Amino acid sequence: MTKNKFSLRRAVNNMNLVRFRFWFQIVAFALIVYGGYIGLDLGNKLPTFACVFNGEGTGGKCYVGELQHDLKHPLEGFIGFAGYAFLISLGMFAVWFWALNKGWCGFVCPLGTMQDWLTMAREKSRIRFSEYSWANRKKIKSIKYILLILLLLLPVMIANSVFGLPKLPNGLSMPFCDICPGRMMIPAFTGHFNQFYIDFSSKTDLVMTTLGMIITGLFLVGSFIKKRFFCYFCPMAALQYVFSKPALLKLYKDGDKCTRCGDCYRACDMDILEIADDVKTKNMVTEDCTLCLKCIAACPEEGCLEANFMGATIFESTKEGFVLRMAMDQHKESHAH
Amino acid sequence: MHTEHTIESPHERQNRHKAMEAIHVINALKEDFKSPIKSMEYFYTLFERVYCNHEPLHEGKSKIGTMCIQIPSEIIYALDGVPIRLCNGFYTDDEIGGDLMPQKSCPLVKATVGLFASDNFSDKPDITFSPTTCDQKTKAGAIIESFGHTIIDVGFPRTKESEASRAYWRESVKGFAVELSKFQGKKLTRTNLENSIKKVGYAQSLYHKLTEFRKHQAVPILGVDMFLVTNAFFFDKIDDWIRAVENLVAELEQRSSEGVHVAGKASPRIVYTGSPPIFPNYKIPLIIEQSDAIIVADETCSSNRMFNDMVAVDEWNLYDMIDSISDKYLKACTCPIFTQNDDRIRRIIQLVRSYSGDGVIYQAFAGCQVYEMEQRSVLAAMEREGIPILYIESDYSPSQQGQLTTRVEAFVESLKNRKRMKK
Ligand code: SF4
Ligand code: SF4
Ligand code: SF4
Ligand code: SF4
Ligand code: SF4
Repeated sequence: MTKNKFSLRRAVNNMNLVRFRFWFQIVAFALIVYGGYIGLDLGNKLPTFACVFNGEGTGGKCYVGELQHDLKHPLEGFIGFAGYAFLISLGMFAVWFWALNKGWCGFVCPLGTMQDWLTMAREKSRIRFSEYSWANRKKIKSIKYILLILLLLLPVMIANSVFGLPKLPNGLSMPFCDICPGRMMIPAFTGHFNQFYIDFSSKTDLVMTTLGMIITGLFLVGSFIKKRFFCYFCPMAALQYVFSKPALLKLYKDGDKCTRCGDCYRACDMDILEIADDVKTKNMVTEDCTLCLKCIAACPEEGCLEANFMGATIFESTKEGFVLRMAMDQHKESHAH
Repeated sequence: MHTEHTIESPHERQNRHKAMEAIHVINALKEDFKSPIKSMEYFYTLFERVYCNHEPLHEGKSKIGTMCIQIPSEIIYALDGVPIRLCNGFYTDDEIGGDLMPQKSCPLVKATVGLFASDNFSDKPDITFSPTTCDQKTKAGAIIESFGHTIIDVGFPRTKESEASRAYWRESVKGFAVELSKFQGKKLTRTNLENSIKKVGYAQSLYHKLTEFRKHQAVPILGVDMFLVTNAFFFDKIDDWIRAVENLVAELEQRSSEGVHVAGKASPRIVYTGSPPIFPNYKIPLIIEQSDAIIVADETCSSNRMFNDMVAVDEWNLYDMIDSISDKYLKACTCPIFTQNDDRIRRIIQLVRSYSGDGVIYQAFAGCQVYEMEQRSVLAAMEREGIPILYIESDYSPSQQGQLTTRVEAFVESLKNRKRMKK
C-alpha cells in the first residue's frame, strides 16, 4: 500500500502546527523587530505592525503609521501627483498583503506574537481563558472599523476643514499611533522604553498619550486573559480585510465534509463561529480571521479545511494529522488497581 | 451438571432464551458468509462468553451504566470506572419490559427497562447515568429507579445551535463529573483525564482505520461484523478491545492487499441509518447482507456515531479538556432528538459519497418516534440527491422475517438494475 510511503504532502499535513507557528513567529518577530540591525528594510508599506517608533531596529515600517502621515495633507494636493503617489502606496500595501492575506496576523505581526506569548504564559499557569458572549462578540466587530475610519479621518481633518468644521489640533496627527500598543511595546524589545510617557504639552497630547498608556495596559492584561484580545479591535485587520478577497493565501472549507463538530471553533483564538457552523461558504477568511491555521490542525475530517496558495493545497485537515497532533496515536495500557 | 429435576428459575429461563438469541446471531455471522476473518474470533467468543455463558468481565471494578452515547466515557475511564452502555437488543428483555412500558414504546427502551426489572446482569452497573435524550429514555430512568437502581439524570439540551444549550450541557457534564468523582472517591486530574482522552481517541482512530478499508472496491469486512466490533465497545475492557481491533486492522490490511471481497462483484453497497442495531438485534443488517448486498457505512449511534467525532483539546488543562469533551458530545451528535436534522442528513449524503454507496437503508424501530418522524425529511433529501432509499419499520420480534426479506431483496434487486443501467 502507498499508505506508509513518505510523501511531503503527508508530512506537512501531519505537522505539529503549534511548534511550527511558534518558531515561525519567532523568526518573523526577529526580522521585523531587529531586522534593521542587519540592514533589513522591507519598506514602509508593510501590512503589519512593524513600528516606526522602533528606530534602527525595525526591519520595515507599518503602513498604518505611514497612512496617517500621508493623509495629513490639504485635499487639493490629492488631485494630481500626490493622489497617484497615495494610490501607489496603497497598492503596494495591498501587494504585500496579498502574499499572505490575513496570515500576516497569524504568523508575522509582532503584536499578535506578543499576545500569543502571553497566552502561553496563561496556559502554563493553568488559568482558564475568558470568552465573550456570542452577543457581545458580534457587537464588538464594528469597533475596528470605527477606529479605522477615525484614523483615516482625523489626519485629514487636521490639514483640512471638513464640512466647514475648524481644523483639528496637530496633536492628533497620528491618532492611532498615539493609542497603539505597538508604539510602546515594540521599541521596548530593542531596549527603548522612551515611548512610555505622558505628554503634557497640550490637552490633546495629554489625553491621547494617557489613552495610549491605558490601552497598552489593557493590551497586556487583556491578552493574558483573552486570547488575541487586541486583535478583536485592530484597525489594521479592518484595513486588511478590505483587500482580502483577491489575496493568494486562502482558508477554504468543504462544507459537505463538515460534521459541525465545532472542534475548529474551539481552537480558534478569534472565536469565529462561522468556521464550524457555516457549511455553505468556501472562502472562510472572515473579517477577524488571522489565518493562524489552528482550525485546520484541529479539524478531524479528511480534507474539510485547507490552506490554499494560488489554487494549490498546502496544508489540509486529515484524520491522521489530527490523531498525531492530539497525541492519540499510541496505546498506553492502564494499570489495574 | 444438569439434573433432570431442577426447576428452571425465571433468571435461568431468561438467560437460556437470551443465550439462544445470541448464539443464533453469532453462528450466522460465523457460518453464513464466505471468507471469514480470523481476528473476528475474539469478538464471537466475547459475545458468547457474556451472553451465552453469562460471564462477568469486570469483577471487582466499579461499573458505570450509561443510557445513551452522550455520557462521556473519557471521564468514566479517568475516574477508574468501566462504562457499560445499557442500550439493549434482546427480544427476551423486550418482552419483559413490554409489561412495564406503554404498548407502542420503542423496543430498545423496553429491553433496557426489562433488563433492569429482571435485575439479571452479568456485569451489574453500580450507578447509571441517563442523559435526557428522547422522551422514552428520559422517562425510563424513573421507572428503572423504582426497581431500586441508582439512576442519575444528566440534562441534555434538544437544540445544539444556541449558546445557551452549549453552556447548559457544559454544566451538565461538569455536574456529572462531580457526581461520579464523589461516587468513585477519586479526583479528576489533568493527568488522568488527558490519558483517558488519548486512549479513547486512539480507540476511535482504530475504528477510523477499519472504516477506511470499506471505502475500497473490494470490501474485506461485512457490515454485521463491524456492528459486532462496535457493539463490543459498549461493555468490553477497553485495552482488550484495542488489542483485538489492532489485530483486526492488521488482518484487514492483509486481506485488502489481496483484494478479498466479502460480497459479490455486483453486490450493491449500502449505507445504513436509523435506529441503532444492538446485539443481537441484527435482524435488518443480516437480511441485507444475506440478500447479496453489503453495508459499507452506517450512521447509527451504536456504531459510527459513537466513534466518528473526536475530542479536540486546545489547551491540555482540566478546564479546557472538560469543555472540549462537552462540546464534542453535543455539537457533533447527530441524534434525531434534536430539533434540527440537517447535520444528520448531510452526514448520510457524505457517507454515500465517500463510501461509494449505491443506496441507503433507513430502519426505524416501531415506537422510536424520533426516527419515525425524521423519515420524511431524510427521504426527501435523498430524493433531491438522487440516492435510492428504503425505509423499513421493524421491532425485536422474530416474526416479520419473511416480509422484511422480500422488501430488502426487492430493493437490492432494484439497486443492481440501476447499477447495470449505469454501465
Ligand atoms: S504606533 Fe502602531 S500604528 Fe503607529 S507605526 Fe507603530 S505599530 Fe504602526
Ligand atoms: S489583528 Fe492587528 S494586532 Fe492582531 S495580528 Fe493582525 S495586525 Fe497584528
Ligand atoms: S472541525 Fe472540521 S468537521 Fe468539525 S466543525 Fe470544524 S470544519 Fe467542520
Ligand atoms: S478561523 Fe481558523 S485560521 Fe482563522 S483565526 Fe480562526 S482558527 Fe485561525
Ligand atoms: S438515537 Fe439518540 S436517543 Fe436513541 S439511543 Fe441513540 S443516542 Fe440515544
